[in-house]
This record gives sequence, structure tokens and C-alpha cells, in this order.
Amino acid sequence: MSKAFHRVKVIAKKELVEFVRDWRTIVAILVIPLLMFPVLFILFPLLLASEAAELDAMTVDVVVQSEGMPEDLGLQFNASNMNITFETLPVLDLLSQPGQDDERLRNGSVDLVVRLEANGSLIDYAMIYMSTSEQSLEARSRAFAVLSEWEQNETINRISEAGLDPNETLDPLRWEGDVGQSDVATQGEQAGMALSLFIPLVLAVWTFSSAIQPSIDMTAGERERGTLEALLALPATRMELLMGKWLAVATITGAGVLLQVAGLLFAIGYLASSNFISVPEVSIAALALLCLAILLFAVMVVAFELALAMRSHSVKEAGSILGPAVLLILFPALFTQVINLDGIETYWFAIPVVNVLLALRELLMNRIVGLHIVTWILSSGIYALGAAWYAARQFKREDIVTSLS
Amino acid sequence: MNQPLLVVDEVSKSFGDVKALHNVSLTIKEGDIIGLVGSNGAGKTTLLRLLSGVYRPTSGLVSLSDGSDIATVRHAVGVVPENTGLYSRLTAWENIRYHARMQGVDDSEAWRRTLYFSKFLGMEDSLQRHTKGFSRGMRQKTALLRALAHAPKVLLLDEPTAGLDVTSARTVRELVKQLGEEGGTVIYSTHQLTEAERVCNRIIIIHNGEVRADGTPQELLEITGAPHLEEAYVTLTGDAARQRHEDDKPLKGLSKWWRSIFTPKLPAEVLEDE
Repeated sequence: MSKAFHRVKVIAKKELVEFVRDWRTIVAILVIPLLMFPVLFILFPLLLASEAAELDAMTVDVVVQSEGMPEDLGLQFNASNMNITFETLPVLDLLSQPGQDDERLRNGSVDLVVRLEANGSLIDYAMIYMSTSEQSLEARSRAFAVLSEWEQNETINRISEAGLDPNETLDPLRWEGDVGQSDVATQGEQAGMALSLFIPLVLAVWTFSSAIQPSIDMTAGERERGTLEALLALPATRMELLMGKWLAVATITGAGVLLQVAGLLFAIGYLASSNFISVPEVSIAALALLCLAILLFAVMVVAFELALAMRSHSVKEAGSILGPAVLLILFPALFTQVINLDGIETYWFAIPVVNVLLALRELLMNRIVGLHIVTWILSSGIYALGAAWYAARQFKREDIVTSLS
Repeated sequence: MNQPLLVVDEVSKSFGDVKALHNVSLTIKEGDIIGLVGSNGAGKTTLLRLLSGVYRPTSGLVSLSDGSDIATVRHAVGVVPENTGLYSRLTAWENIRYHARMQGVDDSEAWRRTLYFSKFLGMEDSLQRHTKGFSRGMRQKTALLRALAHAPKVLLLDEPTAGLDVTSARTVRELVKQLGEEGGTVIYSTHQLTEAERVCNRIIIIHNGEVRADGTPQELLEITGAPHLEEAYVTLTGDAARQRHEDDKPLKGLSKWWRSIFTPKLPAEVLEDE
């Protein structure tokens, strides 16, 4: 083993030992990504279901103000799961004007006011509600259900009375068979498509953001704490120092991303068992290329962050630069989600950040396009080398020895 | 006669427009215990960083006696920077071992040397402790153990007794003396002339980036004709000392303007404006 490699290993090992001894950082960078997707995919839907059940059980007070309301509609309101009070329709220019009912909606004594007025063979209606109240919105939704049901029945009755077949009249164009059966994309491919819309975004943003703290700690942190001078006086070259620190940050970031993917796969497995989503179909070659894309991205991102952090005189300064720098990843990542992959021009695969995100999207959809792969590997390689070169320049600066302390 | 160990040949070091060191030439020999004395900003730390290879000279060369550039043979020096530079999440021994491994020294050899010197410094029981809670004295002693673990030819100490209690400072001085007696070479920067006089066999007075005098305490007295070293120092450094420049880059442009908005004026300036 060469001396240089030995020193790189010693530096990386020491950085990792220091890292694992800080439990707060472990929680922030390793535990949170592991739990993020399971919480998002499993607990969040459970929470939503519990909230929906709570809304269903809610008692809502509805006032129905009417003039010439059909009797059967009144009966349907009475049969619904709402507390109904019938009133005479007040005099208004338009039914949608809140008028006197504004106050009682605001003070919560009433959740909804439904106004109905016969107008020849039609019924005009309006609902007065408060969109900022969950209770009022729930009442509105239940009242809509009653009105829709009445309207559907009334439509069928009127068509029948006119001597027509309601089914033929209302549904002249019909799908024959199972809709799902007619899609040639397999469930695995559909799952890949769905996941390709957010996995690249999450991977890219997390790779960048999880590298921030260790990058700062190992560069600006060392500088601020005054530990860098003794280190720079050792036989290691600045390049070895950079490599050692890069290896440590990349290991931490890699572990964070890996745990996040593990959490994601667990959540997908859980959802697949409930037929919510299938396991995506990705070939071994696509998986290998996926790993390569993430690796090249990590090389670039970590080197770039180490460089920016090393330029900074303090942890505070580094944080104020690297924090907003997440936007450099976030904006292209969001932009990439809306790019149509069918017939996409090759140059997109040469644009920094966008190239890796598009590559991840394609590979998750199991699309292996030779020209695209060559383009993103070459461009990502060049960007990674560029970032490493920039980082090396920062590490070779003489003023990094000076510290605020 | 002691052999030359380190040669500083017409070395200058500039930071931008500021000349931190100007045309310094020295020969450091085996067994020299050198006191590098000067005021703040005189250039002591810059010279030590040049000797340790952390800084590269703007002109001139710092080399071992065989002509090899110090930057390529850093294992020859052991460094204790002013702020010790210990990692607080590592134990004292881990701090020492980290540097020893970087120097290519195996753990057993580093441990043997550490044990030997830690007995002298009274640090045997603290080697397994994390350095986070260490006092200034313990930090300084750990940094000394770390610098000695790879058996350097020259030990560079930047203000090693600054901020230490009397007992710790005495222990550090005694260690330096012992190293000298064993034939070691130490370069020791300090503000305090009396300390240099007590510990060192050679004193270099540095002022405004220039070496003003270099010799034994007796030689300095003879050069200046002063009755004691303090008087000799004042004679040699009579001109006003400059400000420290090395890491004090002035703000420019937007940064300067922005900071000025949130910087209150001195009371005298406010009264003048009124």
C-alpha cells in the first residue's frame, strides 16, 4: 500500500470516527433519511384516513332556505347525515350573496346555508359557506352529494318522461372491457414511471443536503477550531487531505442515501402488499448505470461542497453559502420532472445536474439509450473532474491555515 | 561542533502587499534551543509556518542541511501550533496516534514514545480521555506529546506557555530543557524575553519581519551594550511595531459598505457630526 493511499485512509478513518461519535449528526444524516419514506408513505396515509374518518363522524348544521323546493329533495336532505333546518328564502338580488347569513357562518352557529329557488322547470341554487372552516367544507361536500343524487334521479325521470332511454341518452359512447387491461405497460413499468417522477429529485437533493454538514465540519470547522495548521504541517499533501476528506464525506453521504433508498424500498414493499403500487421493473444493467450516475453526481457534489466550505473562514460563513446552494440542485431537479422523455434531445444529457436527474428518470423507467448514457457519463465525468480540480485549488490556498480562533 | 540541521536562506514572505518576513537567513544546528522573540505581528508565526512547510516562501528556501526542501521532508519537524489544534471528539491518545500514523510511525512505536514523555508531563492517566474537557495546560501537553511521537529532528513550538498556569508552564519549560540536554533541537516562539532567557541557549529577536539579532543571551548583551536583555530588546526594536497583517485582509467593495451600515460610529465622531 503506497504511503499516499495510507494517509488518505488514515484521514478518512479519523473523520468517520469523529462523525460517528456525534449522535446528533447520526440522527440528522442517517436515521432521518431511513425513516423519511416509511413515515411519508405509511404513516401519512394512515393519518389522512384517520382524519377522513373523523370528518365522516362530524355533525354539521345546515340551513336550507327555499322557495318552491321539490318535495323529494326536501326528503333527501332530511334523510342525509346533516342536521337540517328549513327556512324561507330571504329576498336577495342573487342567491350567492351571503347577506344576513355571513355572521352565523362566521360565528359557527351554522356550517352551511343552501339556497334553492324554483325557476320554471329549473331549480336555481347556491351554497353559502366558509372555505377556511373544515366543518363548513364538510357540510358543503355532503350537501353537494344530496343535490347531485337528486339531479341524477331528476335527469333520468325527465329523459324517461320524454320517451327516451336514459342509458343510451346519457352514455352514448362506452368503453368495453377492463381499462387496466388495455394498457400495454406492465404494472412494474408503471411503477417505474411513477417513481421516476420523484426518486431522482429526492436522491439529488438528499445527496447534496446530507453532504453539507460533514463538508463544513471537515473544512471550515477545522479551520475555525484551529486544527488545520497542525494537520497541514504533516507529510500529507493537500491533495491527499482533500481525498481523505472527500472519501469520508462521500461515505457518510452514500450511507445516508443508501438508507434512504432502503427506507423507500421498504415503503414500496409495504404499499405493493396493499396493491397501491407495484415493484418497479428495472434491469440489472439499468441498476448498475443508476449506481454509476449517483456515484458521479456524488463525486461532483461532495467536491464542490468541500471546495466552497474550504473557501469559507468560519462554519457560519460556510453554512450561509452552502445552505442556499441547495437551490442549485432543487430548481434543475424540479425542472427535470416536467421534461418529456419521449424524443428528448441528447443535449439535455450534457447539462450539469439535469443530466444525472434525466439519466435517473430514464433508468428507473428501464430505458437504456446508448447515446444518452455516453453523453451523461462523459459530461458528468467532466463536471466531477472540474469540481475536484476546483476543490484541489481551494485546498492548496495558503490562507486556509489562518483561523478565526 | 554541532551539525547544521535546518537552513533558512534569504527567505521572504509576503501576503499581498505586506511583507511579513524580509530576507531572513538562519542556520539551525542540532542541540539549538532557540527562543524566537518578538511582539505581536513581528513575523514569528510566519517564520514557524515556513519552517514547518505550511507556508512556501515568496523567495528564498527553507531546507534541511542536505539541501532537501522542508516541504518534502516534513517528518523532520514536530509542530505545536499556538492553539494546539486538538480534535475534541478524539481522546488524547487518538489525537497523538492520528498524527503518528500520518507520519508513517506504527502505533507501538508512537505509544512507546508517548508513554515516555507523558510520564514527564504527568499525562499518563489522561491519554484515554476525550480532549473536549481538557484545560489549556493539558491541551498544550497533549499537543507536545503529539509533536514528539514521531521523533522529529526539530520541534517547533508557537507560544507554548501562553495562557498556561504556573505549574503547567514550568513543566513545559522543563521538557524543552530536557530535550535540549538530550541533544534535541527546539524553536520556541514567545513574547517573553525572560522565558526565552531561562529556557533557550540562543535567542533570535524578530521585529517587523526582520531578524534584528541572533545569538546567545550574552552575545545579545555584547552587541547592544545593554546591562540586561530587556534593555537589549528595546534597543534592537526601537521603531514602532506594525500591526498583524497575515490574516487580517481589509474588507472591500460591497462587504465594506454593508458592514459600515451596521457599525456604529465612535462617540467622538458622533459629537463631531453634531
